[in-house]
Amino acid sequence: MTLLAPARTAALVVPARRRRPVRAIAWVVVTAIVVAAFWSADIGWSRLGDLPAEIVRYLGLMFSSPNWSKLPEALWQTWRSVEMAWIGTVLGILIATPLSLVAARGFGPAPVRVALRFAFSVVRAVPELVFAIIILSVTGLTPLTGALALAVGGVGTLGKWGYEAVENVAPGPIEAARAAGGLTTQVLRWGVWPQTAPTFLSFWLYRFEINVRASAVLGLIGVGGIGDMLTSYTQYREWSTVGMLLIVVVVVTVAIDAVSGRIRRRIMEGSRVR
Amino acid sequence: MTALTVPPRPKGRWMPWTAAAVIVAVTVVMCLPGFGVGLDIAAIARNWQQGAVRIVELLAPDWSFFPRTVGPLLETLQMAVIGTAVGAAISLPLSFWAARPTNPVGWTRAVLRGILNVVRAVPELVYAAVLVAIVGVGALPGIIALVLFNVGIVVKLVSETIDSSDVGPLEAGRAAGGTQSKINRSIALPDAWPAFVSQTLYVFELNVRASTVLGLVGAGGIGLLIDAVRTFYRYDQLSLIIVEILVIVVVLDTVSDAIRRRLV
Repeated sequence: MTLLAPARTAALVVPARRRRPVRAIAWVVVTAIVVAAFWSADIGWSRLGDLPAEIVRYLGLMFSSPNWSKLPEALWQTWRSVEMAWIGTVLGILIATPLSLVAARGFGPAPVRVALRFAFSVVRAVPELVFAIIILSVTGLTPLTGALALAVGGVGTLGKWGYEAVENVAPGPIEAARAAGGLTTQVLRWGVWPQTAPTFLSFWLYRFEINVRASAVLGLIGVGGIGDMLTSYTQYREWSTVGMLLIVVVVVTVAIDAVSGRIRRRIMEGSRVR
Repeated sequence: MTALTVPPRPKGRWMPWTAAAVIVAVTVVMCLPGFGVGLDIAAIARNWQQGAVRIVELLAPDWSFFPRTVGPLLETLQMAVIGTAVGAAISLPLSFWAARPTNPVGWTRAVLRGILNVVRAVPELVYAAVLVAIVGVGALPGIIALVLFNVGIVVKLVSETIDSSDVGPLEAGRAAGGTQSKINRSIALPDAWPAFVSQTLYVFELNVRASTVLGLVGAGGIGLLIDAVRTFYRYDQLSLIIVEILVIVVVLDTVSDAIRRRLV
């Protein structure tokens, strides 16, 4: 009893906080980097003061009375952007799918596999706009340039997702196809494809969604499409038309995302049981 | 001797073929002249040699150009860091606002999510192009564009994590008499923290990539240089810039990947 008595009167014993030196150092480093960036950047922060008022004013200019008379042209340019995205996706699929099979462990020779994986990561690191700048020396300022740039960019992402999907399949069906005497193509058709088809299809659709966004951006360097129109009217400072174009971009992107998202969910989860 | 009973073929085998036919048809329509992407094989045949010359130029980077790229490259990184920091600071409270367990008021959640869906639908370069016309040329419009882009992504991903988190601790907090803000602060925040840090690092990777091209519309960084170099057709200098972007992106991706793997 005498032993327990002091414990009752003492304050609640709170366990000591865990010390996390690594975390503390990480915080210091991150803070230092951010402060250094703010401090060294040559930015007219004074412009930030009247920015909110300016943005409200410009939002008013853009959306108070959008210029719908330019809508037909906007829709035509949107169609060209979607074409860019579509052709870019189809070409990307045609190039990336065979390459991703070769890059998967168990199908291609090791040196080729390493080289392809390196190429995929290089392509992913370079922005699509840079590819477009290189390609336009051959195809000129046409939507085809945009489509080809998106195709090249697509090979980087689709290739990576593809070989990861092929490597993650269950080995049983592949072994069965091999044991039955299947050639490599037959192993791919009957051992790999049935397992990976839904994944591949949903990657393709996802890439199409990415390309729809990217195609609006590619217009900025003049290859046509809605981005081209948007930069022109921004430079003319015709804000009511810019507002209308932004509405078109948002509606089209959201609509395509919604449709493609539904198809992807249907592919991955199967039809509802009736 | 009875024949082997073969089960009937599954129905719906026409579906993949129809889908393939539709895709081929759409692709063909899009390649038609006048209506399509402007596939002009004659022009390509005429110009492909020009392209070959460009690629040869690309293979020999002009290393003497390096000193002039350092400043713009640093500005690109500054934009990415500042954009990520400001975007993260704005995203954290908004993520709690957009998630069900941390904001029980349904209509405010719906309003915020609706706004963010619209924000996400506009690419960051389009924001930059419009903002350059509003605020003027420089790094500031680029940073604002990155912030908008980041908030759209981070709030969506983090609020989805909060939505799918275990509600037990939150209920315990409520049972102990905590107000919603106390619960968010002391229970939901530590829970969501690793996801938040990981997504912030992820958008930092995206920002580094995005900020390299923001300059093409006048929003600062190495993109301004890309634009200058391309108007003079200096593909050897462009090639040096590409190499630099590659190195920076690969190094930062590797570092941020390593940190993220430790977090999860």
